[in-house]
Amino acid sequence: MRAGHFKQSYLELVALTDSGAVKAWTAMLLVGCMALPWVASSYVLALATTILITAIGVVGLNLLTGVCGLISLGHAGFLAIGAYTAAVLAVDYAVPIIPGIICGGLLAAALSLLVGIPSLRLKGLYLAITTLAFTIIVTHSILNLDWLTRGSAGLSLPAADLLGISLAGKVSFYYFSLAACVLFVAAAMNVMRSRIGRAFVAIRDHDIAAEMMGINLVAYKLMAFALSAFFTGAAGALAAYQVRYINVDSFAVLVSIEALAMIIVGGLGSIAGAILGTIFMSLLPEFTRWLFDALGSGLTETFSTRALEVRGLIYGVVIMTVLRVQPDGLIGLWRDAKRLWSNWPFRY
Amino acid sequence: MSSILDVEGLGKAFGGVQAVQDVSFSVEQGTICSLIGPNGAGKTTVLNMISGLVPPTTGRVSFERRDITNSPAYRMASRGLGRTFQNLAVFAHATVVDNILVGMHARLSADPLTAAVYWGRVRNEEIRARRRVEEIIDFLEIQNVRDLPVGTLSYGLQKRVELGRALAIEPRFLLLDEMVSGMNQEETEDIARFILDIKEQLNVTVLMVEHDMGIVMDISDQVVVLEFGRKIGDGTPTQVSQDPRVMAAYLGGAGEAA
Ligand SMILES: Nc1ncnc2c1ncn2[C@@H]1O[C@H](COP(=O)(O)OP(=O)(O)OP(=O)(O)O)[C@@H](O)[C@H]1O
Ligand SMILES: [Mg+2]
Repeated sequence: MRAGHFKQSYLELVALTDSGAVKAWTAMLLVGCMALPWVASSYVLALATTILITAIGVVGLNLLTGVCGLISLGHAGFLAIGAYTAAVLAVDYAVPIIPGIICGGLLAAALSLLVGIPSLRLKGLYLAITTLAFTIIVTHSILNLDWLTRGSAGLSLPAADLLGISLAGKVSFYYFSLAACVLFVAAAMNVMRSRIGRAFVAIRDHDIAAEMMGINLVAYKLMAFALSAFFTGAAGALAAYQVRYINVDSFAVLVSIEALAMIIVGGLGSIAGAILGTIFMSLLPEFTRWLFDALGSGLTETFSTRALEVRGLIYGVVIMTVLRVQPDGLIGLWRDAKRLWSNWPFRY
Repeated sequence: MSSILDVEGLGKAFGGVQAVQDVSFSVEQGTICSLIGPNGAGKTTVLNMISGLVPPTTGRVSFERRDITNSPAYRMASRGLGRTFQNLAVFAHATVVDNILVGMHARLSADPLTAAVYWGRVRNEEIRARRRVEEIIDFLEIQNVRDLPVGTLSYGLQKRVELGRALAIEPRFLLLDEMVSGMNQEETEDIARFILDIKEQLNVTVLMVEHDMGIVMDISDQVVVLEFGRKIGDGTPTQVSQDPRVMAAYLGGAGEAA
């Protein structure tokens, strides 16, 4: 602990952060995000948009798995539900983007109870299998309900517009996604510092003690499922609007696994970790592609023909390395660095 | 004086094991009652039945004259009933402050929507809760570890955090399961002092399971003795320690345990 650093009031205790450095970093990050469209190519901008949208879904998964300790492979399903809800509403009912996103989140939250209720007594592997089954059921239903979802043909979305401003362009959609991401992350941080976030942590660490503290386990586990699914469903809706064409293939089980990899690499239970993990794992394929390009043409060919396998391989290696070397993830690395820095030149 | 807790004919069978059988006793408002007995006598099971974690096979539990026999465990906090556990049951990855804040859960009102916005009532309640937590931290003298994850603390300190968490419930009645086992002499004396302060300053009635006879004889107003799931003694510490049945059971029980 730093000497001479203490809180002046209880108000400061509930503040999100008391550190000027954190505030300065956050402000710089936001300014950087705002300025990106001026410097980035359209490819980079699309990648950044994808990262912002993915971060919303991954922060949602983190609430359930990292914070509340309930593992889920069902999030590809929630993502699909959100995407299809927004798409169907837009195509068949001309519903605008914001209600579309909210409905996508709400339907995912409602359907999350279908997997949440039977999962109340399950933990670990059994929960993983049940939620995996959920994703499979969702993708099968999408294929079979073709009167609603157009089956395997997929759905093309119209360009969104927001109060008369078109979101068809990459830049405007990027800003829209940035705003959404900031809102969702702020909401998640607020939930985390309220009794709800603390109840999730309590359930993860000791469910019986949590119960004696007045936490209704059934209600709170379902709440964790629903809240998490809401975030991921909303991310699915946004993603549908970004690519403007959705197909059931975009929501394979692998998506759930990638999202889990992101929170593990970033650091389980931490919102900043979830975001860091999303950025890191999203940039990883880009970085390897660049590396392969630099190394020579034979490798580039391997990468383009076997992109999926190479990507899976890299993910696997990264997850194993993180679990072995830094189980607290990137955020743990950051905390260690910060401790070193703020205590320097003293060791303790 | 009036009783705050009444246990009548309480019994519990786990499969073929009759863990508790026909146990009745009452705890008077504002007293410290110890529940003692050899290992496996059924003490923890009695606490679990009182706190709603284990449904009794027979009998009734009344708290402040209201039947709470089949009410779920998560309702106990808002009823004013707090407890600690025999084995460490802290939220190991959360800080001391956050552990104690969880104890305030039933006193707060945030739902997902108001929590996400974190404004007005939620924020004000949170500030008040922090203030209360600081009082508890001062009371238990754990200021210097307040921001550490509880899992990194010593056993004695973790127990103290658990006590703080139970106090955050603002209980009128506190169930303590073997607070001092595994503690050294100094830590034990601290806990004894805290329990007395809790009774006298905070006006909380205490029912504690304890193996340490020193602390039982020093601070209890009433002692209830169990053996093989049955009650074999009930009275003041002096009465109980002179009861031939208790002496016999205790010497036998102590012999078995050793
Ligand atoms: N969940 C359970 N399932 C089966 N048997 C149980 C269960 N809980 C307790 N028992 C049995 O009930 C009896 C009483 O156990 P209990 O834990 O209440 O004793 P105790 O008096 O608290 O003992 P100790 O001093 O060792 O803590 C023991 O024989 C125990 O094995
Ligand atoms: Mg016991």
